[in-house]
Amino acid sequence: MKIGIPRALFYFRYGRFWQQFFNHLGIETVVSPKTNKDLLDIGLKKVSSEICLPIKIVCGHLEWLKDKVDTIFLPRIVELNHGLYSCPKMIGIVDIARMQVGNQCQILSPKIKNNFIFAHFLLGLNLTKNPYKARKALNKALPYLNNHKTNVFDNHKPKILLLSHFYNLEDDFIGQDIKAAFIENGFAITTKEVLDQTILNSANGFAKNIQWIYERELYNAFHYNLTKVDGVCDIISFGCGPDSLVGEIMNQHANQNKVPFLQLIIDEHTSKTGLVTRIEAFSEIIKRKTYTTDLHK
Amino acid sequence: MKVAFPCFGYETISLKNFVENLGAQVCLPPPLTEKTLSLGTKYSPELICLPFKITLGNLIEGLRAGADTLFMAAGARKCRFGYYHYIQETILRQVGNGHKFYPISQYTPFEFFFRKMPSIFSVSPVRVITATYLLLQHSALIERFRNYIRKARILDFNKSRAQEKHALELLEHAKKLSQIRKTKEAIDKLFDKTKIIPDNTIKIGLVGEIYIMLEPFANHDIEKELGKMGVWVWNQRSLYRHLKHLLHIDHLGIKYKFQASPYLKDSPGGEAINTVGEARSFIKNGADGIIHIYPFTCMPENIAFEALQKMSDDYSVPLLSLSIDEHTSQTGLLTRLEAFVDLLKRRKMITQKPKIQNSKIKT
Repeated sequence: MKIGIPRALFYFRYGRFWQQFFNHLGIETVVSPKTNKDLLDIGLKKVSSEICLPIKIVCGHLEWLKDKVDTIFLPRIVELNHGLYSCPKMIGIVDIARMQVGNQCQILSPKIKNNFIFAHFLLGLNLTKNPYKARKALNKALPYLNNHKTNVFDNHKPKILLLSHFYNLEDDFIGQDIKAAFIENGFAITTKEVLDQTILNSANGFAKNIQWIYERELYNAFHYNLTKVDGVCDIISFGCGPDSLVGEIMNQHANQNKVPFLQLIIDEHTSKTGLVTRIEAFSEIIKRKTYTTDLHK
Repeated sequence: MKVAFPCFGYETISLKNFVENLGAQVCLPPPLTEKTLSLGTKYSPELICLPFKITLGNLIEGLRAGADTLFMAAGARKCRFGYYHYIQETILRQVGNGHKFYPISQYTPFEFFFRKMPSIFSVSPVRVITATYLLLQHSALIERFRNYIRKARILDFNKSRAQEKHALELLEHAKKLSQIRKTKEAIDKLFDKTKIIPDNTIKIGLVGEIYIMLEPFANHDIEKELGKMGVWVWNQRSLYRHLKHLLHIDHLGIKYKFQASPYLKDSPGGEAINTVGEARSFIKNGADGIIHIYPFTCMPENIAFEALQKMSDDYSVPLLSLSIDEHTSQTGLLTRLEAFVDLLKRRKMITQKPKIQNSKIKT
């Protein structure tokens, strides 16, 4: 049995955990290659044009995987941490995948509702029929669930908070150009992935109103960093529903606190040049702002 | 206290009577026009879906008409709809002055009956429960009326317009239970039930997002336009069903969830599962085509769209998807509808043709 994991969407958060988990269960895993133009072009043809970019990318990856493996692993994450939902498209992608490649290969989609680890234990039990083995594999894979990254700030450089979902920012096809443009303009970048889970999942202030898991993380990261950075850049994929609302709320809060806020809306037609121009203009704003505040001192 | 809330198709009357039964005065905003939409679009975030813009414009117009208390449905879950009020509240604070804004959560009926409504209107919970019962009865009546008017439009379009006007006047005055019962009889009398719809009528199942489906301004009066073309529109969505769903007594919802299960195994939020289930049961009941109508970038309906496309392939029933935003023009929509209805007529002709040829040979 070969299990294929698409290198898109949830892979960037749970991918290493899943790979370790399946390896310890004794199942071979195949991960699709990094997103490129060809994969995206295939994905574009498979779904309606209105759907957001990450979903289109997943569909491209599914097409790549379907001939190479006999089972594709794509969990249905409905609810996590009691009462926190994932986005409708993340729930629906499993059904889209079933309709798209369901004829050629099997789709393994455990429904994850509230208890992430127990759902995986049941999955392991289902695959191996051996509770001891499933538990052992799970225990060995658990340390990889913590995707904590560290980044060291260069104190001399102005700091920027790149605010976007992990599946946008860590997918090099989407995030690389934006990160490179900021670094080129002399910024130090921080993202939400470096923060602790307790900060990201806290339900203080406005964050308790947000019932989407990953949006709450975004808002908490924004709130935590608001006074610590010189500017915030919010990257939204066109058609993303939750971001259109939470992005607006963050925009209002940033305006109240007089923090420069840039909203980049990306889709498959976004050109690198256009992005770079906007980032350059934004960096000029931040530099002027720090210059004038220094003068006033 | 002058109350305003966003319009919701014919069901606005039900909601108006509900608030009046609680002892408040209703100050309804003027009917929805292009002006409402442009007002809403002006203050809205760029990427938000259409119902936000319409309801916001509507609330602003309500404020300008003299309302001091605004109501908006809420209840945050997977769909964006539950989060509207956070942004609308801040926007309305900029526009209006000194008004009160109450988001009403949909998913907490207990709190609604015993805490929220009694404290806002300062009435007893018993009165809220009776008012809700009347709201259910009234919206059931409106659902009945909608079903009648759909049939009446095919039989005689000009007459149906007079009937519609008359029935709406009757419905507006039905406030107490006895009046609702009398109105029910009057409406039954108003529409002739003896006339049977001819067999060769084109039947189209209308599915999609509830606000767009029920509000005639948002869907550019698609049901009336289709009725004018002689199409029998099948539509299972109404406020009555939605209220029943919120009170967990909607048996149709369970049926449609079962119908949708080959395509959507789990509800992706919103009304996607209803959309797919309704479409499948319409097809099984012999609908000639399906029209799927939803606001642009609606998340659950986009998932439903993929399922409907697969279903359209599986059952070979034509599907027309209309994604509506503030730039949608009525003319463009009409052209597409006409083309779709023509296509359905042709299809029906071709499937019926062999029978006619045979009969000609015999005679």
